[in-house]
Amino acid sequence: MSKYFYIALTSIRSRLAYLGEIGSKTIFLFVVLYIFLCLWKVTYAETNQTSLGGLTLKQMLWYLVVTESIIMSLPTIATLVDQDVRTGALAMQLVRPLSYPLNMLAQTSGERVLSFALNFVVGSIIALMFVGPLDINFQGFAMFLMLLPLSFALDFTIYFLIGLAAFWLEDTTGLTLIYSRMTMILGGMLIPLELFPEGWQQILRVLPFSAIVYGPARAFVTGDLQLFLSVLIQQVVAILVFALVIRIVYNLALRRVFSHGG
Amino acid sequence: MENAVSAVQLAKNFVLKKRDGLRWTESEVKAVDGITLSIERGQSVAFIGPNGAGKSTTIKMLTGILHPSSGQATVLGCVPWKERTRLAKRIGVVFGQRSQLWYHLPPRDTFELLSKIYEIKKDVFLSQRDMLIERFQLAEFLDTPVRKLSLGQRMRAEVACSLLHSPEVIFLDEPTIGLDVIARQELRDLIREWNREKGVTVFLTSHDAGDIQHVAKRVVVINHGRVVLDDRVSRVRRQYLSEKVLSVKYADMPESIALEGVKTLKESGHAFRFEVDTLAIPIEKVMTEIMRIGSVVDITIEDPPLEEVIAHIYSAPPTATEEDEDEETGAEDE
Repeated sequence: MSKYFYIALTSIRSRLAYLGEIGSKTIFLFVVLYIFLCLWKVTYAETNQTSLGGLTLKQMLWYLVVTESIIMSLPTIATLVDQDVRTGALAMQLVRPLSYPLNMLAQTSGERVLSFALNFVVGSIIALMFVGPLDINFQGFAMFLMLLPLSFALDFTIYFLIGLAAFWLEDTTGLTLIYSRMTMILGGMLIPLELFPEGWQQILRVLPFSAIVYGPARAFVTGDLQLFLSVLIQQVVAILVFALVIRIVYNLALRRVFSHGG
Repeated sequence: MENAVSAVQLAKNFVLKKRDGLRWTESEVKAVDGITLSIERGQSVAFIGPNGAGKSTTIKMLTGILHPSSGQATVLGCVPWKERTRLAKRIGVVFGQRSQLWYHLPPRDTFELLSKIYEIKKDVFLSQRDMLIERFQLAEFLDTPVRKLSLGQRMRAEVACSLLHSPEVIFLDEPTIGLDVIARQELRDLIREWNREKGVTVFLTSHDAGDIQHVAKRVVVINHGRVVLDDRVSRVRRQYLSEKVLSVKYADMPESIALEGVKTLKESGHAFRFEVDTLAIPIEKVMTEIMRIGSVVDITIEDPPLEEVIAHIYSAPPTATEEDEDEETGAEDE
């Protein structure tokens, strides 16, 4: 296992070469957070409410800091796998005593942790500037720290599967686009699930998207134990299901044509 | 002791889809069509063939990347596609067209990472690394990010990396592609050194006759997915040495030469290149005739280069299912 940990570390070191790119993303984060702060301010004022979907304006902005940091830290998992399959670079990976899926997981997770940390720090500074500190709830923070890695792992399994589709499809960018938008909208990136219509909420809570975005963010701002447990179960079950699907699809894929040059 | 590599009737078919109007038709392409081969430990074998002959496919099967359609193979006693991870620790693989180094990090970091991946003990790793750094002359660019290295430097680092875990067999798929003459020569010498001195079994594919000549003792030629020749490099050369190439420069236009066993390869101005089959005609007769037909300014006699020998072997017609072969080229080509 230690080798995968080392791969993740190496990936972080390698990623530091792209500090400029990460830096430019944080500017975007600033703009997005500012715009949504203004929108929510108006919404709270117009509806004359101090709490919407169980969150105060302050909590709402901190919720957005977490969801945006999760979404914006996404590495290009599907593209990497797609490229490896399409160009035959997968071969290079298979001649090592490594599992390709775990190697990919380690590599992209290293990248994601670094990117999330930067986004989160910048997002927190913005939130501190505009709405001040969140009433820090250590229980919530601990829950968040447990849910976040599982959220990344779950997100990884789905993108990895999309990447593997390159064995059968000409192009997987369409699938990536659809999935990423669904995560944003149905996962509650901009609007917490509580503000969706009743009927929708029931469905959204069992779909994997909310376990990736909404769950960790909500646990962070509220520290709600019930929510934490249900998200945890949802994450674990979803990861197991998708890992199983990966196992089946990956084994099928390995037996498939490898006529991609070289 | 078991062989380093042995393959029996190893075959790989690919399914090729073609669109015919709105309908897709599937046809099967035989990329590798029953290769039988055995390589003793410590041998150095050049595995050559034209593009699309099935070289890469064979290497991929022997390294466990590809599952064969039929046939058997063992590498160091392991069935590659069933025991891929176990085998991976005992073999080294270099694909000349792909990199295993981390693009943004210096080679030093890749060494470090590989030592973890291959679970090499710290002290073994350090001594092996330092030895490779010295022999491959990596010291000057060990801390330079790989993206800033020249191709020659990068390939030296690539090969050194693949030797870090002291593999027993090393597969090199076109390791010298794109390198300049000196870089190529250096790399060949190093590969040969590892083979002769450390006893590493070398399995090399290349399109460069020099690689074959300098590194390998045995050559296996495959074409159309089959072994068409398997012999010592020296013997292959000798067999074709019955042919000589004569370059002759005349003072002015000579009479035309018409002798059995003499072929005009090239003609430009008053200079000619003849190929002489010494089994059909003694060289002496040819020389006399050359002198007779005009006034000779300059003359050289050479053995045909290994490249031509190879070209000659490649051009031999396939023995079976010719239709399939063209398609195969498309599927396998780099």
